[in-house]
Amino acid sequence: MAEQPLTRRNFLKGKTKSRPELDRLNPEWPTQRVAKLYRKFLEKQPPFYHPPISEEVAPPLAVTASLNSMRDVDWDQSAAVHLLGRTMFGSTYTDIINSTSDSLSNTVNTLLQELETAEPPGDWVNEPPPAWDQLTYDEVQAVMEQYRERMWQMANWWIVRMTQNPINITEQMSLFWHNFFATAQSKVFYPQAMYEQNAVFRQYGLGNFKELLRRVTFGPAMMIWLDIHRSKKHNPNENFSRELMELFTLGVDNYTQVDIEEASRAFTGYVTNGVETNYDYENQTGSGFWWDEWHDFEDKTVLGQTGPWTGDDIINILLEQEECAVHICRRIYKWFVYDYIHEPVVEAMAFVLRENDYELRPALEFLFNTEHFYDSNFRGANIQSPMSLLPGLVRKFGMEEFTYPEGFFLRSVEFLGMTPLEPPDVNGWTGYRSWINSITLPVRKLVNSALVTGFSPFGNFDFMVDVRSMAQTMYDSDDDGYASEQIVRKLALVLFGVPLSDILETKMLDILLDGAEPYDWSINAPIGDAQWNRMRDLLLYMIKLPEIQLS
Amino acid sequence: MKRRDFIKTSMVLSAFGKQLPLMAVGRNRRQLGRTSQWETDRVVILIKLNGGNDGLNTVIPIEDDIYYEARPTLAISPGQSLSVNDTTGFHPSLGPIYPFYQNGQVGIIQGVGYQQGNLSHFRSSDIWVTGSDANEHLLTGWLGRLFENEYPDFPDDVPDHPLAIQFNSANLLEFRTSESNVGMMVFDPETMYAIISGNYVPGEDDPAPESYGGDELAYIREIDTLSMEYSEVIYDSALAGINTMEYPDNNIGYQMALTSKLISGGLGTPVYRLYQPGYDTHANQANNHANLLQDVSGSIAAFLQDMANQDLQDRVMVVTTSEFGRRVYENGSFGTDHGTSAPCLFFGSNIVPDIFGNHPDLTNLNNNNNMQVQYDFRQIYSTLITDWFGLPESVAQNVFAQSFDSIPFVQEPLSVKPPVLPAHFKVHAAFPNPFNPTTVIGYTLPAAGNINIRIMDSRGRLIQNNHLGPISKGHHTFRIEGKTWSSGTYFAQVETGGTALTQKITLVK
Repeated sequence: MAEQPLTRRNFLKGKTKSRPELDRLNPEWPTQRVAKLYRKFLEKQPPFYHPPISEEVAPPLAVTASLNSMRDVDWDQSAAVHLLGRTMFGSTYTDIINSTSDSLSNTVNTLLQELETAEPPGDWVNEPPPAWDQLTYDEVQAVMEQYRERMWQMANWWIVRMTQNPINITEQMSLFWHNFFATAQSKVFYPQAMYEQNAVFRQYGLGNFKELLRRVTFGPAMMIWLDIHRSKKHNPNENFSRELMELFTLGVDNYTQVDIEEASRAFTGYVTNGVETNYDYENQTGSGFWWDEWHDFEDKTVLGQTGPWTGDDIINILLEQEECAVHICRRIYKWFVYDYIHEPVVEAMAFVLRENDYELRPALEFLFNTEHFYDSNFRGANIQSPMSLLPGLVRKFGMEEFTYPEGFFLRSVEFLGMTPLEPPDVNGWTGYRSWINSITLPVRKLVNSALVTGFSPFGNFDFMVDVRSMAQTMYDSDDDGYASEQIVRKLALVLFGVPLSDILETKMLDILLDGAEPYDWSINAPIGDAQWNRMRDLLLYMIKLPEIQLS
Repeated sequence: MKRRDFIKTSMVLSAFGKQLPLMAVGRNRRQLGRTSQWETDRVVILIKLNGGNDGLNTVIPIEDDIYYEARPTLAISPGQSLSVNDTTGFHPSLGPIYPFYQNGQVGIIQGVGYQQGNLSHFRSSDIWVTGSDANEHLLTGWLGRLFENEYPDFPDDVPDHPLAIQFNSANLLEFRTSESNVGMMVFDPETMYAIISGNYVPGEDDPAPESYGGDELAYIREIDTLSMEYSEVIYDSALAGINTMEYPDNNIGYQMALTSKLISGGLGTPVYRLYQPGYDTHANQANNHANLLQDVSGSIAAFLQDMANQDLQDRVMVVTTSEFGRRVYENGSFGTDHGTSAPCLFFGSNIVPDIFGNHPDLTNLNNNNNMQVQYDFRQIYSTLITDWFGLPESVAQNVFAQSFDSIPFVQEPLSVKPPVLPAHFKVHAAFPNPFNPTTVIGYTLPAAGNINIRIMDSRGRLIQNNHLGPISKGHHTFRIEGKTWSSGTYFAQVETGGTALTQKITLVK
């Protein structure tokens, strides 16, 4: 809660010594002995940077609440930039042009298309856990180190996927679900489990929400994260059922404490070893010895319904509530549109979701077709998260094929307050204005500049953005203006969230021309020509502007 | 990168206060026992006249017929120009600095450029800022190399002020070192000036749109202001500094006003690089050039007076540069195209107010019909390094990988090298001439000796007899005050060891 202005001094003063990643560790996971060693291991790692939370929201403005589908005639470049900017990481000029000349519905279809399964980051994703009790102290340390390496390897792999994503919403959705289900690797411990959850987001994230919820709930990561694992009938654990209702389905105040307690009795008897669980997907039930031992087979009453509910039954009951669809759509709205919620739109979207039996694609298609979504108020209203900004810029600069110094991406987004696989807590990342404070903003500029200069605090590159190719791709002899003028406008189109102002356009042209006249700037200047330095200088200038933080 | 390096980085981050997050991680360069030899508190203000200043219309060869033939519409007549001497005039827009010229605070270096001048803005600018030959492509700036030479552990182990300040959003090449950049960017001087004056409203000149997007833009601009990329010491200096003059309300005016504040506020930065765009006058040059020169000379005049008012004038020098000059012959659009060399003007109270070099010989153009080079620009930069800042010649040689003859335009050189011994006793042209009320005569002595300087009127009557002596060998100046004299012709005779050289000077009241 920021009660004082977010100055650097205030932030440093308020810097707490608490380490949430230590406080929430399960003292018996994976075994008592290993848990103790793991805690010591974690203590030695530097703390994660979580930016202070900013709860400010802009006051409401008059926005088109029109839920009508946007007409084809209104589908223009500005609309394409907006849609792609919110759904993709880093749309290039070519993407924008192609989508504009295509139609709204085709573009939305392309975005919602199913992609082929991704190659996992390594073979270790299927590796069973070791027999902990047989390992020596040193061997345990070695395994923990190795697991840590794999976690970061996976996080890096994910970011690289984002830099290489085509016109498709799948990676964006997987990040959305990661924030939604906010599971932290520091507690989960097993990289195999974190990968499994990530793969579930990718595979089921655009399909049926119920199926997604089921798969997440009974995956090893969630079972550890919210203490489903080893929750026993005699003394069940409320953690999961609370968050299930509050965060994943109904939203606060739509259930009672008793509902939580009763539901938690249903989520008993499920166990995992970090890689596999005792959940039977086909029959939608737990199985095996611990299920028989620990599951509470008695009747429970949740939201007025009584029966010998299992976890699946609870999920079904919750999804029957109207509030559930509204809650999910509200979260989606917040991510894709704006932090100030326009309820009628959310209600309409929820209606579509329910009508389609919780299939997510139709609901998203609905949202992306409304005139409301394209209201000019929302243009540039999204403050990009670190994992959106940096990978996005890589793709916009056409630099996704390079091999970056080890840890560049990871360290950068970490520094900006968004360590992938490590949300600050179960609420996920607050995001919005919390991303921007007087510490993170200069660092944003610094790491983004690295793409242009090749110098980064996390290792220098031996490559840079190819400005000449960028310029030649953008230039069109059929468009208005000299090449230099076109480049300025089109760069702004690709990089800025808000429309380019006249004053800024003039400044940018000054930088590009550096005293020359517009016609002195040639699109065909050879590769080593000093003119291209100026375009790099222009990119550096743009990177330091607020406009580039928005989408 | 290991975790412990991450800790080191995060400490850099949290400890940096208002500093730029410097790229200090992983540095391991150390040169033990090496300290900087930089001791002076002198400052040089370099102003780039961006686009290629038309030197021929700035320092005008008013007696040259070819000049008038070549420029039927653009040439400036003797009547229009400001008189410098019998053959030279200033563009009338230089009016604001004219009093300073009359007071011996303005000098000219003619024909500055480099061999095989490149006519591309970008390439030529790069040559100037990297200090390279025309056929070399260097990736570091001359100032970058200079500071890297003096502060090899940069960014560790440096003085607590920025090494250089640049007033431009881009083109960092002049300050680029092999690994980072020594300048500290101030990329919007108007904004910064307003902030420091306490009346900054973010986005005042470019309001955010009225939308959610605009709201977020406004929010980020606010945070941007809080985390502006200038360090505590710049900010404090600017707050402590004062302007005793009002500066012209334009961008170069703001730059100079801010520079003055920083210097008066005690900032120790030795180099400022300012920019004034617009000099690429291919068409309709007359008005544009006039306005530009008006803006810059007004700003320089305000600055010089401001510094004098605060008794800082001995510490500062202003030098104008440009990536090239322009062609002798005007084109069909009442403008001029890219040329080669052009004069550089320098200003201050610690300068030798002289014209170095001659008017370009318009009968002896190169095979592109452009003017010949008289001085390599690196001579000016070298001179600044040795004479103005007092660093050893080896430093200048390191920076430019060659030796360049210095130009003696610094009145009190701090040079550690022995001054070049003049072969002969010489008296330089009085400057300004005609004058009112002061002029300065320079003379060079091959050996120490007694000097007598006599002033006689047109009828040969002795008006003044100054016995100066003993004077050391080398170059000196003598100020002639004509406040109480009547207008007319006078003779200044400088005599040493039996030899006398006389100059005609004219007082025009």
